[in-house]
Amino acid sequence: MATETRSRGPVRRTVSRTEFAVRASLGRRDGVAVFAGATALYLLAYLWLGDLLAFDGSGEVGILVAENPLGRLFQPANSALSFEPVALVEFGFGTYLFSLNTLLGLGIALLVGVNLAVTYLAWRQPKACGIASSSSGLLAGVPALLSGAACCGPVVLVIFGIQASSAMLTVFQWLVPVAIVLLVGSLLWVGRKVDPALA
Amino acid sequence: MEPTSRRRFVAAAGVALTGLSGCIGGLTAEGVEGQDGELQDSRAGAQGTTTASERVGGIPLRPSALPVEYDLATLREEVLSGGPPKDGIPSIDEPTFQDAEQADSELRPEDVVFGLVRNGEVKAYPQKILVQHEITNDVVGGEPVSVTYCPLTGTAMGFRRGETTFGVSGKLVNNNLVMYDRETDSRWPQILGTAISGEFGGRSLQEFRLVWTTWEMWKATHPETRVLSTDTGHVRNYEQDPYGSYVPNPSGYYVRDSTLFAPLGEDDRLPNKRVVLGARLPESESRLAFEKPALREAGVLSGSVGDATLLGVYDPRLDTAYVYRNPTGRSFDYDKGRAVADDGTRYEPANLPLDRFYAFDAMWFAWSGFYPSTEVVTG
Repeated sequence: MATETRSRGPVRRTVSRTEFAVRASLGRRDGVAVFAGATALYLLAYLWLGDLLAFDGSGEVGILVAENPLGRLFQPANSALSFEPVALVEFGFGTYLFSLNTLLGLGIALLVGVNLAVTYLAWRQPKACGIASSSSGLLAGVPALLSGAACCGPVVLVIFGIQASSAMLTVFQWLVPVAIVLLVGSLLWVGRKVDPALA
Repeated sequence: MEPTSRRRFVAAAGVALTGLSGCIGGLTAEGVEGQDGELQDSRAGAQGTTTASERVGGIPLRPSALPVEYDLATLREEVLSGGPPKDGIPSIDEPTFQDAEQADSELRPEDVVFGLVRNGEVKAYPQKILVQHEITNDVVGGEPVSVTYCPLTGTAMGFRRGETTFGVSGKLVNNNLVMYDRETDSRWPQILGTAISGEFGGRSLQEFRLVWTTWEMWKATHPETRVLSTDTGHVRNYEQDPYGSYVPNPSGYYVRDSTLFAPLGEDDRLPNKRVVLGARLPESESRLAFEKPALREAGVLSGSVGDATLLGVYDPRLDTAYVYRNPTGRSFDYDKGRAVADDGTRYEPANLPLDRFYAFDAMWFAWSGFYPSTEVVTG
Protein backbone atom coordinates (compact mmCIF):
# COMPACT_ATOMS: atom_id res chain seq x y z
CA MET A 1 0.00 0.00 0.00
CA ALA A 2 2.80 2.34 0.86
CA THR A 3 4.37 1.70 -2.50
CA GLU A 4 1.12 2.50 -4.22
CA THR A 5 0.83 5.81 -2.36
CA ARG A 6 4.34 6.74 -3.31
CA SER A 7 3.81 5.81 -6.96
CA ARG A 8 0.56 7.74 -7.29
CA GLY A 9 2.28 10.92 -6.28
CA PRO A 10 4.64 11.14 -9.25
CA VAL A 11 1.91 10.02 -11.62
CA ARG A 12 -0.41 12.74 -10.47
CA ARG A 13 2.39 15.26 -10.60
CA THR A 14 3.29 14.16 -14.14
CA VAL A 15 -0.31 14.40 -15.31
CA SER A 16 -0.80 17.75 -13.67
CA ARG A 17 2.41 19.15 -15.16
CA THR A 18 1.44 17.78 -18.57
CA GLU A 19 -1.94 19.50 -18.31
CA PHE A 20 -0.14 22.69 -17.48
CA ALA A 21 2.22 22.32 -20.42
CA VAL A 22 -0.66 21.67 -22.81
CA ARG A 23 -2.62 24.66 -21.47
CA ALA A 24 0.46 26.83 -21.76
CA SER A 25 1.06 25.72 -25.34
CA LEU A 26 -2.53 26.18 -26.42
CA GLY A 27 -2.82 29.45 -24.59
CA ARG A 28 -0.58 31.11 -27.14
CA ARG A 29 -1.54 32.02 -30.65
CA ASP A 30 1.57 30.44 -32.20
CA GLY A 31 1.07 27.32 -30.07
CA VAL A 32 -2.48 26.96 -31.34
CA ALA A 33 -1.26 27.47 -34.90
CA VAL A 34 1.28 24.67 -34.53
CA PHE A 35 -1.34 22.42 -32.92
CA ALA A 36 -4.00 23.07 -35.55
CA GLY A 37 -1.59 22.92 -38.47
CA ALA A 38 0.08 19.73 -37.32
CA THR A 39 -3.26 18.06 -36.55
CA ALA A 40 -4.74 18.96 -39.91
CA LEU A 41 -1.67 17.99 -41.91
CA TYR A 42 -1.28 14.78 -40.01
CA LEU A 43 -4.92 13.81 -40.49
CA LEU A 44 -4.65 14.50 -44.21
CA ALA A 45 -1.53 12.35 -44.48
CA TYR A 46 -3.17 9.63 -42.40
CA LEU A 47 -6.24 9.49 -44.62
CA TRP A 48 -4.16 9.60 -47.78
CA LEU A 49 -1.88 6.80 -46.64
CA GLY A 50 -4.92 4.77 -45.68
CA ASP A 51 -6.44 5.20 -49.16
CA LEU A 52 -9.36 7.09 -47.63
CA LEU A 53 -8.50 10.34 -49.32
CA ALA A 54 -7.51 10.63 -52.95
CA PHE A 55 -6.86 13.60 -55.16
CA ASP A 56 -7.92 12.30 -58.54
CA GLY A 57 -9.54 15.34 -60.06
CA SER A 58 -12.72 13.53 -61.05
CA GLY A 59 -14.64 16.81 -61.19
CA GLU A 60 -17.64 15.18 -59.57
CA VAL A 61 -19.37 16.65 -56.53
CA GLY A 62 -21.71 14.62 -54.35
CA ILE A 63 -22.21 12.34 -51.39
CA LEU A 64 -23.01 8.65 -51.52
CA VAL A 65 -24.06 6.84 -48.36
CA ALA A 66 -23.78 3.05 -48.03
CA GLU A 67 -26.80 0.87 -47.45
CA ASN A 68 -27.39 0.46 -43.72
CA PRO A 69 -24.57 2.84 -42.71
CA LEU A 70 -25.00 2.38 -38.96
CA GLY A 71 -24.85 -1.38 -39.32
CA ARG A 72 -21.64 -1.11 -41.30
CA LEU A 73 -19.92 1.49 -39.16
CA PHE A 74 -18.26 -1.06 -36.87
CA GLN A 75 -17.77 -3.71 -39.53
CA PRO A 76 -14.07 -4.64 -39.84
CA ALA A 77 -12.50 -3.90 -43.20
CA ASN A 78 -9.07 -4.29 -44.71
CA SER A 79 -7.01 -4.93 -41.61
CA ALA A 80 -6.92 -4.75 -37.84
CA LEU A 81 -8.52 -1.57 -36.49
CA SER A 82 -9.82 -0.76 -39.94
CA PHE A 83 -13.50 -0.23 -40.58
CA GLU A 84 -15.90 -0.34 -43.49
CA PRO A 85 -16.45 3.01 -45.26
CA VAL A 86 -20.03 4.25 -44.91
CA ALA A 87 -20.00 7.42 -47.01
CA LEU A 88 -18.20 8.65 -50.08
CA VAL A 89 -17.73 12.35 -50.64
CA GLU A 90 -16.63 13.66 -54.03
CA PHE A 91 -15.45 17.25 -53.88
CA GLY A 92 -14.34 18.05 -57.38
CA PHE A 93 -10.61 17.49 -57.18
CA GLY A 94 -10.72 14.51 -54.87
CA THR A 95 -12.62 11.78 -53.11
CA TYR A 96 -12.99 11.09 -49.42
CA LEU A 97 -14.29 7.93 -47.77
CA PHE A 98 -15.77 8.33 -44.31
CA SER A 99 -15.42 5.51 -41.83
CA LEU A 100 -14.52 5.09 -38.17
CA ASN A 101 -10.93 5.28 -39.34
CA THR A 102 -11.34 9.02 -39.73
CA LEU A 103 -12.17 9.29 -36.02
CA LEU A 104 -9.27 7.00 -35.19
CA GLY A 105 -6.98 9.10 -37.36
CA LEU A 106 -8.33 12.29 -35.83
CA GLY A 107 -7.56 11.01 -32.34
CA ILE A 108 -3.98 10.20 -33.30
CA ALA A 109 -3.65 13.50 -35.19
CA LEU A 110 -4.79 15.43 -32.08
CA LEU A 111 -2.15 13.64 -30.02
CA VAL A 112 0.51 14.46 -32.60
CA GLY A 113 -0.69 18.09 -32.67
CA VAL A 114 -0.48 18.44 -28.90
CA ASN A 115 2.95 16.82 -28.85
CA LEU A 116 4.25 19.18 -31.48
CA ALA A 117 2.67 22.22 -29.84
CA VAL A 118 4.34 21.41 -26.54
CA THR A 119 7.62 20.62 -28.27
CA TYR A 120 7.37 23.90 -30.15
CA LEU A 121 6.88 25.83 -26.95
CA ALA A 122 9.81 24.04 -25.35
CA TRP A 123 11.95 25.09 -28.28
CA ARG A 124 10.72 28.68 -28.37
CA GLN A 125 10.61 29.53 -24.70
CA PRO A 126 12.02 26.80 -22.55
CA LYS A 127 12.68 29.06 -19.58
CA ALA A 128 9.40 30.92 -19.56
CA CYS A 129 7.31 27.80 -19.21
CA GLY A 130 9.85 25.62 -17.53
CA ILE A 131 9.76 22.95 -20.21
CA ALA A 132 13.00 21.25 -21.05
CA SER A 133 13.78 21.13 -24.72
CA SER A 134 12.58 17.85 -26.19
CA SER A 135 11.98 16.40 -29.58
CA SER A 136 10.36 13.24 -28.31
CA GLY A 137 7.01 14.39 -29.62
CA LEU A 138 8.39 14.44 -33.11
CA LEU A 139 9.88 10.99 -32.80
CA ALA A 140 6.66 9.55 -31.41
CA GLY A 141 4.90 10.85 -34.48
CA VAL A 142 6.78 8.45 -36.76
CA PRO A 143 4.98 5.22 -35.76
CA ALA A 144 1.82 7.26 -35.54
CA LEU A 145 2.19 8.25 -39.16
CA LEU A 146 2.99 4.68 -40.14
CA SER A 147 -0.19 3.58 -38.40
CA GLY A 148 -2.05 5.38 -41.14
CA ALA A 149 -0.61 2.80 -43.48
CA ALA A 150 -1.83 0.06 -41.18
CA CYS A 151 -5.35 0.84 -42.29
CA CYS A 152 -4.71 -0.62 -45.70
CA GLY A 153 -2.55 -3.40 -44.36
CA PRO A 154 0.25 -4.76 -46.47
CA VAL A 155 -1.05 -3.07 -49.60
CA VAL A 156 1.03 -0.04 -48.69
CA LEU A 157 4.10 -2.26 -49.12
CA VAL A 158 3.18 -2.53 -52.78
CA ILE A 159 4.12 1.11 -53.16
CA PHE A 160 7.61 0.38 -51.96
CA GLY A 161 7.90 -3.04 -53.57
CA ILE A 162 8.56 -4.68 -50.21
CA GLN A 163 7.67 -8.31 -49.72
CA ALA A 164 5.36 -8.78 -46.76
CA SER A 165 5.62 -11.53 -44.20
CA SER A 166 3.49 -12.78 -41.37
CA ALA A 167 5.80 -11.03 -38.91
CA MET A 168 5.39 -7.74 -40.74
CA LEU A 169 1.62 -8.10 -40.78
CA THR A 170 1.73 -8.61 -37.03
CA VAL A 171 3.73 -5.40 -36.71
CA PHE A 172 1.15 -3.58 -38.82
CA GLN A 173 -1.62 -4.72 -36.52
CA TRP A 174 0.13 -3.16 -33.56
CA LEU A 175 1.03 0.14 -35.16
CA VAL A 176 -2.10 1.99 -34.06
CA PRO A 177 -1.98 1.00 -30.37
CA VAL A 178 1.80 1.44 -30.28
CA ALA A 179 1.44 4.89 -31.83
CA ILE A 180 -1.12 5.91 -29.23
CA VAL A 181 1.01 4.61 -26.35
CA LEU A 182 4.11 6.38 -27.68
CA LEU A 183 2.32 9.67 -28.24
CA VAL A 184 0.71 9.69 -24.80
CA GLY A 185 4.03 8.56 -23.33
CA SER A 186 6.03 11.27 -25.05
CA LEU A 187 3.54 13.91 -23.94
CA LEU A 188 3.80 12.77 -20.34
CA TRP A 189 7.58 12.57 -20.70
CA VAL A 190 7.75 16.20 -21.67
CA GLY A 191 5.10 17.20 -19.15
CA ARG A 192 7.01 15.48 -16.36
CA LYS A 193 9.86 17.91 -16.80
CA VAL A 194 7.67 20.94 -16.40
CA ASP A 195 8.00 22.91 -13.22
CA PRO A 196 5.00 25.25 -13.04
CA ALA A 197 6.82 27.21 -10.34
CA LEU A 198 9.26 28.43 -12.97
CA ALA A 199 6.54 29.61 -15.28
CA MET B 1 11.97 -24.30 -59.14
CA GLU B 2 10.27 -26.17 -56.35
CA PRO B 3 11.89 -29.42 -55.37
CA THR B 4 10.43 -32.33 -57.26
CA SER B 5 9.35 -33.89 -54.00
CA ARG B 6 6.89 -31.04 -53.55
CA ARG B 7 5.24 -31.81 -56.83
CA ARG B 8 3.42 -34.80 -55.55
CA PHE B 9 -0.06 -35.07 -56.78
CA VAL B 10 -2.86 -35.15 -54.32
CA ALA B 11 -3.62 -38.71 -55.17
CA ALA B 12 -1.75 -39.43 -51.97
CA ALA B 13 -4.09 -37.07 -50.20
CA GLY B 14 -7.13 -38.72 -51.57
CA VAL B 15 -7.64 -36.56 -54.63
CA ALA B 16 -7.84 -38.39 -57.90
CA LEU B 17 -6.45 -36.71 -60.97
CA THR B 18 -8.85 -35.78 -63.65
CA GLY B 19 -8.28 -37.89 -66.69
CA LEU B 20 -6.13 -40.61 -65.19
CA SER B 21 -8.98 -42.96 -65.72
CA GLY B 22 -9.06 -42.02 -69.36
CA CYS B 23 -12.27 -40.09 -69.37
CA ILE B 24 -13.53 -37.36 -67.17
CA GLY B 25 -17.22 -38.11 -67.59
CA GLY B 26 -19.89 -36.38 -65.66
CA LEU B 27 -19.69 -32.77 -66.69
CA THR B 28 -22.89 -31.03 -67.56
CA ALA B 29 -23.13 -28.97 -70.67
CA GLU B 30 -23.31 -25.92 -68.42
CA GLY B 31 -20.30 -27.05 -66.48
CA VAL B 32 -18.03 -27.36 -69.47
CA GLU B 33 -19.31 -24.39 -71.34
CA GLY B 34 -17.27 -21.28 -71.09
CA GLN B 35 -17.51 -18.32 -73.35
CA ASP B 36 -19.26 -19.91 -76.31
CA GLY B 37 -18.65 -23.49 -75.47
CA GLU B 38 -15.26 -24.05 -73.96
CA LEU B 39 -14.27 -27.48 -72.78
CA GLN B 40 -12.58 -28.17 -69.52
CA ASP B 41 -11.59 -31.56 -70.82
CA SER B 42 -11.61 -32.06 -74.52
CA ARG B 43 -12.09 -35.78 -74.18
CA ALA B 44 -15.48 -35.19 -72.70
CA GLY B 45 -16.26 -32.96 -75.63
CA ALA B 46 -14.78 -35.26 -78.21
CA GLN B 47 -16.90 -38.09 -76.94
CA GLY B 48 -19.90 -35.91 -76.58
CA THR B 49 -20.13 -36.83 -72.94
CA THR B 50 -22.82 -34.90 -71.14
CA THR B 51 -23.67 -36.51 -67.88
CA ALA B 52 -25.11 -34.99 -64.74
CA SER B 53 -22.88 -32.95 -62.52
CA GLU B 54 -22.39 -34.00 -58.95
CA ARG B 55 -24.17 -31.67 -56.60
CA VAL B 56 -22.96 -31.91 -53.04
CA GLY B 57 -24.42 -29.72 -50.34
CA GLY B 58 -25.95 -27.48 -52.96
CA ILE B 59 -22.67 -26.87 -54.81
CA PRO B 60 -22.15 -28.38 -58.26
CA LEU B 61 -18.75 -30.05 -58.14
CA ARG B 62 -16.58 -31.76 -60.69
CA PRO B 63 -16.82 -35.51 -60.37
CA SER B 64 -13.04 -35.69 -60.66
CA ALA B 65 -10.74 -33.18 -59.07
CA LEU B 66 -8.66 -30.71 -61.02
CA PRO B 67 -4.90 -31.30 -61.00
CA VAL B 68 -3.10 -30.09 -57.90
CA GLU B 69 0.66 -30.48 -57.73
CA TYR B 70 1.08 -30.38 -53.97
CA ASP B 71 -0.53 -32.39 -51.29
CA LEU B 72 -3.25 -30.53 -49.47
CA ALA B 73 -1.38 -30.45 -46.16
CA THR B 74 1.51 -28.62 -47.83
CA LEU B 75 -0.86 -26.07 -49.31
CA ARG B 76 -2.58 -25.56 -45.98
CA GLU B 77 0.80 -24.83 -44.44
CA GLU B 78 1.42 -22.22 -47.13
CA VAL B 79 -1.78 -20.32 -46.35
CA LEU B 80 -1.16 -16.96 -44.74
CA SER B 81 -3.16 -13.94 -43.79
CA GLY B 82 -3.28 -11.29 -46.47
CA GLY B 83 -4.16 -8.64 -43.89
CA PRO B 84 -7.94 -8.30 -44.13
CA PRO B 85 -10.14 -10.38 -41.85
CA LYS B 86 -12.77 -12.76 -43.28
CA ASP B 87 -15.14 -10.71 -45.43
CA GLY B 88 -12.97 -7.63 -44.72
CA ILE B 89 -12.96 -7.48 -48.51
CA PRO B 90 -16.71 -7.76 -49.06
CA SER B 91 -18.03 -9.81 -51.95
CA ILE B 92 -20.76 -8.22 -54.05
CA ASP B 93 -23.83 -10.26 -53.24
CA GLU B 94 -26.50 -8.11 -54.82
CA PRO B 95 -24.90 -6.88 -58.02
CA THR B 96 -26.67 -4.35 -60.19
CA PHE B 97 -26.07 -3.90 -63.88
CA GLN B 98 -26.40 -1.23 -66.49
CA ASP B 99 -26.31 -1.19 -70.25
CA ALA B 100 -23.29 -0.29 -72.34
CA GLU B 101 -24.34 3.30 -72.89
CA GLN B 102 -24.77 3.92 -69.18
CA ALA B 103 -21.47 2.18 -68.44
CA ASP B 104 -19.67 4.58 -70.74
CA SER B 105 -19.96 7.23 -68.06
CA GLU B 106 -18.09 5.03 -65.60
CA LEU B 107 -15.59 3.29 -67.85
CA ARG B 108 -12.80 4.53 -70.04
CA PRO B 109 -12.34 2.65 -73.32
CA GLU B 110 -9.05 1.17 -72.12
CA ASP B 111 -10.36 -0.01 -68.73
CA VAL B 112 -9.99 -3.72 -68.11
CA VAL B 113 -13.19 -5.75 -67.98
CA PHE B 114 -13.81 -9.46 -67.55
CA GLY B 115 -16.32 -10.54 -70.15
CA LEU B 116 -18.70 -13.44 -69.84
CA VAL B 117 -21.07 -15.06 -72.30
CA ARG B 118 -23.09 -17.78 -70.66
CA ASN B 119 -26.41 -19.38 -71.42
CA GLY B 120 -27.14 -16.60 -73.87
CA GLU B 121 -26.48 -13.77 -71.44
CA VAL B 122 -23.62 -11.33 -71.91
CA LYS B 123 -22.04 -9.50 -69.00
CA ALA B 124 -18.92 -7.52 -68.23
CA TYR B 125 -17.31 -7.08 -64.82
CA PRO B 126 -14.96 -4.08 -64.60
CA GLN B 127 -11.60 -4.82 -63.02
CA LYS B 128 -11.73 -1.55 -61.10
CA ILE B 129 -14.83 -2.74 -59.26
CA LEU B 130 -13.69 -6.29 -58.66
CA VAL B 131 -10.28 -5.16 -57.39
CA GLN B 132 -12.17 -3.85 -54.34
CA HIS B 133 -14.42 -6.90 -53.88
CA GLU B 134 -12.72 -9.85 -55.60
CA ILE B 135 -15.96 -11.87 -55.78
CA THR B 136 -19.35 -11.17 -57.31
CA ASN B 137 -22.08 -13.67 -56.56
CA ASP B 138 -24.29 -13.34 -59.58
CA VAL B 139 -26.91 -15.16 -61.61
CA VAL B 140 -26.08 -15.38 -65.31
CA GLY B 141 -28.34 -17.02 -67.82
CA GLY B 142 -30.47 -18.23 -64.93
CA GLU B 143 -27.54 -19.96 -63.29
CA PRO B 144 -25.94 -18.96 -59.96
CA VAL B 145 -22.27 -18.23 -60.55
CA SER B 146 -19.37 -16.53 -58.81
CA VAL B 147 -17.19 -14.21 -60.84
CA THR B 148 -13.88 -13.95 -59.06
CA TYR B 149 -10.72 -11.89 -59.47
CA CYS B 150 -7.47 -11.94 -57.59
CA PRO B 151 -5.41 -8.77 -58.17
CA LEU B 152 -2.23 -10.27 -56.75
CA THR B 153 -2.11 -13.11 -59.28
CA GLY B 154 -3.93 -11.39 -62.15
CA THR B 155 -6.53 -14.13 -62.43
CA ALA B 156 -10.21 -13.72 -63.31
CA MET B 157 -12.15 -16.96 -63.11
CA GLY B 158 -15.79 -17.99 -63.09
CA PHE B 159 -17.29 -20.79 -61.00
CA ARG B 160 -20.70 -22.37 -60.68
CA ARG B 161 -21.87 -21.85 -57.13
CA GLY B 162 -25.17 -23.63 -56.85
CA GLU B 163 -27.16 -22.71 -53.77
CA THR B 164 -24.33 -21.13 -51.82
CA THR B 165 -22.31 -17.94 -52.19
CA PHE B 166 -18.58 -17.44 -52.00
CA GLY B 167 -16.76 -14.91 -49.85
CA VAL B 168 -13.21 -13.62 -49.42
CA SER B 169 -11.50 -15.43 -46.53
CA GLY B 170 -8.73 -12.84 -46.16
CA LYS B 171 -6.20 -15.66 -46.60
CA LEU B 172 -3.79 -16.17 -49.45
CA VAL B 173 -1.80 -19.07 -50.81
CA ASN B 174 0.86 -18.35 -53.42
CA ASN B 175 -0.51 -14.76 -53.25
CA ASN B 176 -3.77 -16.13 -54.62
CA LEU B 177 -7.23 -15.37 -53.24
CA VAL B 178 -8.55 -18.09 -50.96
CA MET B 179 -12.32 -18.13 -51.30
CA TYR B 180 -14.66 -19.75 -48.81
CA ASP B 181 -18.12 -21.11 -49.44
CA ARG B 182 -20.74 -19.84 -47.04
CA GLU B 183 -22.28 -23.26 -46.68
CA THR B 184 -19.37 -25.24 -45.24
CA ASP B 185 -16.56 -22.68 -44.91
CA SER B 186 -14.33 -24.91 -47.01
CA ARG B 187 -11.32 -23.00 -48.36
CA TRP B 188 -10.84 -22.78 -52.12
CA PRO B 189 -7.72 -21.18 -53.61
CA GLN B 190 -9.06 -19.54 -56.72
CA ILE B 191 -6.49 -20.76 -59.26
CA LEU B 192 -6.72 -24.35 -58.07
CA GLY B 193 -10.53 -24.27 -58.00
CA THR B 194 -10.11 -27.04 -55.46
CA ALA B 195 -10.79 -26.97 -51.73
CA ILE B 196 -7.70 -27.48 -49.62
CA SER B 197 -9.57 -27.72 -46.32
CA GLY B 198 -13.04 -28.16 -44.94
CA GLU B 199 -15.83 -30.51 -45.86
CA PHE B 200 -15.05 -30.23 -49.56
CA GLY B 201 -11.30 -30.75 -49.16
CA GLY B 202 -9.94 -32.30 -52.34
CA ARG B 203 -13.07 -31.57 -54.39
CA SER B 204 -13.09 -29.14 -57.31
CA LEU B 205 -15.54 -26.54 -58.52
CA GLN B 206 -16.84 -26.33 -62.06
CA GLU B 207 -15.13 -23.40 -63.65
CA PHE B 208 -15.72 -21.39 -66.78
CA ARG B 209 -13.82 -18.87 -68.82
CA LEU B 210 -13.92 -15.14 -68.35
CA VAL B 211 -12.35 -13.03 -71.08
CA TRP B 212 -9.78 -10.55 -69.86
CA THR B 213 -10.16 -7.67 -72.26
CA THR B 214 -10.86 -3.94 -72.42
CA TRP B 215 -14.17 -2.14 -72.22
CA GLU B 216 -13.73 -0.76 -75.72
CA MET B 217 -13.14 -4.19 -77.24
CA TRP B 218 -15.88 -5.95 -75.27
CA LYS B 219 -18.43 -3.31 -76.13
CA ALA B 220 -17.55 -3.47 -79.81
CA THR B 221 -17.87 -7.25 -79.83
CA HIS B 222 -20.92 -7.44 -77.57
CA PRO B 223 -22.84 -4.16 -77.73
CA GLU B 224 -25.75 -5.83 -75.95
CA THR B 225 -23.65 -6.50 -72.87
CA ARG B 226 -24.78 -5.65 -69.37
CA VAL B 227 -22.11 -4.16 -67.14
CA LEU B 228 -21.60 -4.48 -63.40
CA SER B 229 -22.38 -1.12 -61.84
CA THR B 230 -20.53 0.70 -59.07
CA ASP B 231 -23.83 0.64 -57.20
CA THR B 232 -22.60 -2.36 -55.23
CA GLY B 233 -24.21 -1.57 -51.88
CA HIS B 234 -20.76 -0.63 -50.60
CA VAL B 235 -18.99 2.69 -50.85
CA ARG B 236 -15.54 2.53 -52.37
CA ASN B 237 -13.43 4.82 -54.45
CA TYR B 238 -13.62 2.76 -57.61
CA GLU B 239 -11.28 5.15 -59.38
CA GLN B 240 -8.45 4.08 -57.15
CA ASP B 241 -6.64 0.79 -57.57
CA PRO B 242 -4.60 0.17 -54.43
CA TYR B 243 -2.13 -2.04 -56.31
CA GLY B 244 -1.27 0.18 -59.23
CA SER B 245 -2.83 0.63 -62.61
CA TYR B 246 -3.54 -1.29 -65.79
CA VAL B 247 -4.34 1.82 -67.79
CA PRO B 248 -3.09 3.70 -69.63
CA ASN B 249 -0.02 1.54 -68.99
CA PRO B 250 0.42 -1.17 -66.37
CA SER B 251 2.23 0.15 -63.34
CA GLY B 252 2.85 -0.54 -59.66
CA TYR B 253 2.39 -4.11 -58.51
CA TYR B 254 1.23 -5.19 -61.95
CA VAL B 255 4.66 -4.72 -63.49
CA ARG B 256 7.09 -4.72 -60.58
CA ASP B 257 8.91 -8.03 -60.37
CA SER B 258 8.43 -8.42 -56.62
CA THR B 259 5.40 -10.18 -55.23
CA LEU B 260 3.57 -9.05 -52.11
CA PHE B 261 4.22 -12.34 -50.32
CA ALA B 262 6.76 -15.03 -51.10
CA PRO B 263 5.46 -17.18 -53.97
CA LEU B 264 5.07 -20.93 -53.70
CA GLY B 265 7.96 -21.52 -56.06
CA GLU B 266 10.59 -19.68 -58.05
CA ASP B 267 10.71 -20.10 -61.80
CA ASP B 268 12.85 -17.67 -63.75
CA ARG B 269 11.88 -18.81 -67.23
CA LEU B 270 9.74 -15.67 -67.41
CA PRO B 271 9.48 -12.49 -65.32
CA ASN B 272 7.14 -12.89 -62.35
CA LYS B 273 4.37 -10.66 -63.66
CA ARG B 274 4.47 -11.73 -67.31
CA VAL B 275 0.98 -12.79 -68.34
CA VAL B 276 0.56 -16.34 -69.54
CA LEU B 277 -2.47 -18.23 -70.74
CA GLY B 278 -2.33 -21.41 -68.72
CA ALA B 279 -4.02 -24.71 -69.41
CA ARG B 280 -4.25 -27.61 -66.98
CA LEU B 281 -4.28 -30.84 -68.89
CA PRO B 282 -5.65 -33.70 -66.88
CA GLU B 283 -2.79 -36.04 -67.64
CA SER B 284 -0.16 -36.50 -65.00
CA GLU B 285 2.31 -33.58 -64.85
CA SER B 286 0.85 -31.92 -67.91
CA ARG B 287 0.40 -28.19 -67.72
CA LEU B 288 1.09 -25.84 -70.56
CA ALA B 289 1.32 -22.08 -70.56
CA PHE B 290 1.50 -19.76 -73.55
CA GLU B 291 3.29 -16.49 -73.00
CA LYS B 292 0.59 -13.98 -73.93
CA PRO B 293 2.84 -11.35 -75.57
CA ALA B 294 4.35 -14.12 -77.72
CA LEU B 295 0.88 -15.25 -78.77
CA ARG B 296 -0.04 -11.66 -79.50
CA GLU B 297 2.95 -11.35 -81.79
CA ALA B 298 2.80 -14.73 -83.52
CA GLY B 299 -0.98 -15.14 -83.76
CA VAL B 300 -0.73 -18.92 -83.63
CA LEU B 301 1.62 -20.98 -81.49
CA SER B 302 1.87 -24.68 -80.93
CA GLY B 303 3.09 -26.45 -77.83
CA SER B 304 3.39 -30.02 -76.66
CA VAL B 305 3.45 -31.54 -73.25
CA GLY B 306 3.30 -35.24 -72.54
CA ASP B 307 1.20 -36.80 -75.24
CA ALA B 308 -0.79 -33.68 -75.90
CA THR B 309 -0.34 -31.01 -78.51
CA LEU B 310 -2.06 -27.72 -77.94
CA LEU B 311 -2.62 -24.76 -80.17
CA GLY B 312 -2.84 -21.21 -78.94
CA VAL B 313 -4.64 -18.68 -81.16
CA TYR B 314 -4.66 -14.96 -80.55
CA ASP B 315 -7.85 -12.96 -80.97
CA PRO B 316 -7.10 -9.29 -81.71
CA ARG B 317 -10.76 -8.33 -81.41
CA LEU B 318 -10.62 -8.95 -77.67
CA ASP B 319 -6.86 -9.07 -77.05
CA THR B 320 -7.32 -12.57 -75.73
CA ALA B 321 -6.38 -16.03 -76.92
CA TYR B 322 -7.88 -19.48 -77.07
CA VAL B 323 -6.25 -22.81 -76.51
CA TYR B 324 -7.21 -25.92 -78.47
CA ARG B 325 -6.29 -29.54 -78.35
CA ASN B 326 -4.65 -30.46 -81.63
CA PRO B 327 -4.23 -34.24 -81.47
CA THR B 328 -3.53 -34.70 -85.17
CA GLY B 329 -1.08 -31.83 -85.32
CA ARG B 330 -3.00 -29.79 -87.87
CA SER B 331 -1.11 -26.71 -88.88
CA PHE B 332 -2.59 -23.26 -89.11
CA ASP B 333 -1.22 -20.01 -90.40
CA TYR B 334 -2.33 -16.66 -89.11
CA ASP B 335 -3.51 -13.83 -91.29
CA LYS B 336 -5.28 -10.63 -90.34
CA GLY B 337 -6.59 -11.92 -87.06
CA ARG B 338 -7.72 -15.26 -88.38
CA ALA B 339 -6.35 -18.78 -88.35
CA VAL B 340 -5.87 -20.22 -91.83
CA ALA B 341 -6.01 -23.99 -92.28
CA ASP B 342 -4.00 -25.98 -94.86
CA ASP B 343 -6.94 -25.94 -97.25
CA GLY B 344 -7.16 -22.17 -97.07
CA THR B 345 -10.23 -22.06 -94.86
CA ARG B 346 -10.16 -19.08 -92.53
CA TYR B 347 -11.41 -19.38 -88.96
CA GLU B 348 -12.21 -16.89 -86.28
CA PRO B 349 -9.77 -17.45 -83.37
CA ALA B 350 -12.65 -18.55 -81.15
CA ASN B 351 -14.03 -21.04 -83.67
CA LEU B 352 -11.35 -23.37 -84.91
CA PRO B 353 -12.53 -26.87 -85.84
CA LEU B 354 -10.77 -28.31 -82.79
CA ASP B 355 -11.75 -28.85 -79.17
CA ARG B 356 -11.22 -25.68 -77.26
CA PHE B 357 -9.64 -26.16 -73.89
CA TYR B 358 -10.20 -24.14 -70.75
CA ALA B 359 -7.30 -21.73 -70.23
CA PHE B 360 -7.03 -18.46 -68.39
CA ASP B 361 -4.75 -15.46 -67.94
CA ALA B 362 -2.41 -15.50 -64.96
CA MET B 363 0.79 -13.89 -63.83
CA TRP B 364 3.68 -16.27 -64.46
CA PHE B 365 4.79 -16.59 -60.85
CA ALA B 366 1.25 -17.54 -59.85
CA TRP B 367 0.84 -20.15 -62.57
CA SER B 368 4.30 -21.68 -62.19
CA GLY B 369 4.03 -21.55 -58.40
CA PHE B 370 0.94 -23.74 -58.40
CA TYR B 371 2.03 -25.81 -61.38
CA PRO B 372 5.82 -26.15 -61.26
CA SER B 373 5.69 -28.99 -63.81
CA THR B 374 4.37 -26.61 -66.46
CA GLU B 375 5.88 -26.30 -69.92
CA VAL B 376 5.89 -22.81 -71.32
CA VAL B 377 5.60 -21.72 -74.95
CA THR B 378 7.40 -18.46 -75.56
CA GLY B 379 7.34 -18.32 -79.32
